[in-house]
Amino acid sequence: MNRRFFLRSGSIALASVGMSLSAPSFLERVVMGREASAAGGRRKVLIAIFQRGAVDGLNMVVPFGESNYYNARPSIAIPKPESGNVESAIDLDGFFGLHPSMRSFKPLWDSQRLAIVHASGSPDNSRSHFDAQDYMESATPGVKSTADGWLNRYLQAKKDSKASSFRAVSMTRNMPRVLMGRAPSIAMANLNEFSIRAGKASANVQSGFEEIYAQQNKDVIAKTGRETFDAVNYLKQADPGKYKPENGAEYPNGPFGNSLRQIAQLIKADVGLEIAFTDMGQWDTHVNQGSSRGQLANLLSQFSVGIGALYQDLGRRMDDVVILTMSEFGRTVRENGNRGTDHGHANAMFVMGNSVRGGKVYGRWPGLKDDQLFEGRDLALTTDFREVFGEIAISHLGATNIKSVFPGYHLTRPNRLIT
Amino acid sequence: MRFFKKIATLALIIPILAAQSVVSKTPRLTEEQRIVHVLNRLGFGPRPGDVERIKSIGLENYINQQLAPERIADTLAESKTQDLSALKMSTAELYEKYPQPGQLIRRMQDRGMLPKELSDAKGDQKNPQENPEYRKLIQEFYKENGLEQPQRIIAQLQASRILRAVYSERQLQEVMVDFWTNHFNIFFGKGADRWLLPAYDRDTIRPHAMGKFSTLLQATAQSPAMLFYLDNFQSVSPNANGGRAQEMMMNAQQRPRRGINENYARELMELHTLGVDGGYTQKDVTEVARCFTGWTIFQPRGGAAAVNALRGEEARTRRPAGSFFFNMRAHDDGEKVVLGNKIPAGGGFNDGLKVLDILARHPSTAKFIATKLVRHFVSDNPPPALVNRVATVFTKSDGDIRETLRAIFFSSEFYSPEAHRAKVKRPFELAVSAIRVLGADTNGGPGTHQWIARMGEPLYGFQTPNGYSDAAESWVNTGGLLERMNFGVALAGNRVQGTKVDLAQVVKQNTDKNRMVDESLRMILAGEVSAATRDSLMKKVDPADPVMKVVGLILGTPEFQRQ
Repeated sequence: MNRRFFLRSGSIALASVGMSLSAPSFLERVVMGREASAAGGRRKVLIAIFQRGAVDGLNMVVPFGESNYYNARPSIAIPKPESGNVESAIDLDGFFGLHPSMRSFKPLWDSQRLAIVHASGSPDNSRSHFDAQDYMESATPGVKSTADGWLNRYLQAKKDSKASSFRAVSMTRNMPRVLMGRAPSIAMANLNEFSIRAGKASANVQSGFEEIYAQQNKDVIAKTGRETFDAVNYLKQADPGKYKPENGAEYPNGPFGNSLRQIAQLIKADVGLEIAFTDMGQWDTHVNQGSSRGQLANLLSQFSVGIGALYQDLGRRMDDVVILTMSEFGRTVRENGNRGTDHGHANAMFVMGNSVRGGKVYGRWPGLKDDQLFEGRDLALTTDFREVFGEIAISHLGATNIKSVFPGYHLTRPNRLIT
Repeated sequence: MRFFKKIATLALIIPILAAQSVVSKTPRLTEEQRIVHVLNRLGFGPRPGDVERIKSIGLENYINQQLAPERIADTLAESKTQDLSALKMSTAELYEKYPQPGQLIRRMQDRGMLPKELSDAKGDQKNPQENPEYRKLIQEFYKENGLEQPQRIIAQLQASRILRAVYSERQLQEVMVDFWTNHFNIFFGKGADRWLLPAYDRDTIRPHAMGKFSTLLQATAQSPAMLFYLDNFQSVSPNANGGRAQEMMMNAQQRPRRGINENYARELMELHTLGVDGGYTQKDVTEVARCFTGWTIFQPRGGAAAVNALRGEEARTRRPAGSFFFNMRAHDDGEKVVLGNKIPAGGGFNDGLKVLDILARHPSTAKFIATKLVRHFVSDNPPPALVNRVATVFTKSDGDIRETLRAIFFSSEFYSPEAHRAKVKRPFELAVSAIRVLGADTNGGPGTHQWIARMGEPLYGFQTPNGYSDAAESWVNTGGLLERMNFGVALAGNRVQGTKVDLAQVVKQNTDKNRMVDESLRMILAGEVSAATRDSLMKKVDPADPVMKVVGLILGTPEFQRQ
């Protein structure tokens, strides 16, 4: 066992995991991972967040500089920025503004750590939530038979023989499509569940399983079992129950805030996390979506306060982290008869991090005049979402074999989002 | 022994087999091992007493019985599933009785029949679903009018699958239902499929699971659930003159893009019949899609079924909501060429039938289905010689599923030591086999299904058309394995809601821990356990430990993850 590991791991007590004579493979890999970081190549992390149900991108990042926006949305449009009016859009660049409930994003924009890619999304014109989510997660729009998700293909392409069990973690109940595939990844709704759960007998039962799985050498199930217990024990040392966010960060209550907090926790516990994923639902605002206040405002508030807290909590670690948000498609430019919006086409994505060239809305704005709309009704698409995914995979994560991550697609990388 | 005589007879008939019989040089499985093997592979594992029962009737007889499920009485499974009323309803009735609340309320509002208190509570500005008062009123409204929430449909369907797998005497039938449900996979979360799946299970998969492959294939092609899942219901020929009329029947949300949708055509060949390297081209995909234009669903989302029923009105439509129909006006009636076969113009509905006929009898299909079956029943790495023999039987029997299975179950490879306990159980198989081996009683409800989902296999929850994997590598991972151990511990500790275990009936609590461990191993694993695992158990079990700890640990061993 490497002494430097103990020295650097500080408060994390390793007594119980360090006991066995041969170093557990999981710990070995953590140690080697850290040595790699000492050599300069610090581990980069991507946090991908899916807004399921299709967020209304036009009320999230408001094109207030365009009168057609106001003509199309008589009752739900967000008012133009106006000083002193907390219900008006938050001015970004004189043309676009943030929804007023997204105040926590403003400092990130001002310090150029928040970039927006507007009029982005899938070139496929499906307006089915199911299909469009499927395409965005497989990153093969129009092709349903793709077996794995693009983040999993990234893991496959950038092989990491020292990868930890926590290289890819989805804070969701089930494994999302985007992480499905051959490369190992973990899905869990809660870090506290990542253990043997037998009430008072938990430790006793776990020790029984550990013994059983330790004694079988060749069996592939036993090998996975040993890795599992290495990971369980390592996480236990990080003590998820006692986590205190730093820098005054306050996560919103509810599952989304909890997921983000636990992602921050995994990053700080140095468990070898590289890809984190979580999602937030309820964006399908067909009826009474509201304007500056109301249904969508509440969702956007939870969304932006949560991500703002995550950013704050991670502090300097955001040098090595990029947060990426996505949603399967946008919503109709015109409001419908129920003061809501229906399924549309292009949308807006956020990219955040200290290495992001922020303070800018990327992508060509296609306009909202009737003849500029896609199929006469929706925001037209000017940036394929794979451009954004691809750039992050290459420039941030350091992916090499990018063709295998985005089969059949040729990346043009026009945006240069990442320094 | 008669059983081996059967193999010998087959060997005479099929010359290739003769070479394979040499396999018997390797150490053979004992009789008991063979019985447990058959119970694991042709079914969901042994219940207490099953091994003795099969010993007395003979293994070959048991297999033959299982191959003729219609002759097996199944009263217990029938009575256990009796109360799952949604599963007995037609799709139109499901639309009436299990409407989507949002959709129902909108339609009632449009017709001015929304009760005042609901309308008031719904209000104007708020998201009504976030308003507890509104939700409560909806619940009351549903109760007063005998309606149920749509998520109850899938919960009942999942329960029926668990119940039948646990209790049915027709074990092989249930295994084949599971197999075909994955082969012809459908995701319940896609649009109307939640309402369409009970009919899919009851009328499409079950009646044909052991019949002719061509019949099964045609049933899936015409099933509203598949037509919806793979979008064929909205595939409209760009040349068709009736397209506009069809569009006008739909509201803006569901209006299809005009034109051909190739989704079904592609998956039909790639996943249902030929396999990805089965020798078709993109041109074939387009041509097949043209053949299936017009195969659609009447009122795919139920139309006004629920609101009409509330008004006490009889459905006045020509067809029941959610039923298959061929819409000639959406069909491309020109000539097509599919895999080199000319399909003349003017064929109408028969175009699709011809395509299914060509595909069901194509040699690539025989190979593809044989490979999948052998992978499922024998090994993750299907022995090529066995696949060839099974494919030959498939072709010669015109796709007779029973005959094809028989060729597998009476092959020497099936009983080879390489195949024995070589397959990793999928989570559904694991959960059901654990419940069965402990003789537990279950209601199959969400408390049990949730565990199967946590382990990674929510039933009807696989999004993409390829269905759950049948290979170990997909199931042996950190998160899934931890949940498998937790499931074992929870089941033994009676903490799986809706499932009750009486361990006293299985293993006696014993102060002699050696006896307690060995008796448990015999019950749960027929004693087939590595010395290492047995030693670990002996080391870690205290004489004072409750038997539930021993059982929980055994259910979580590497050995119990295999079948």
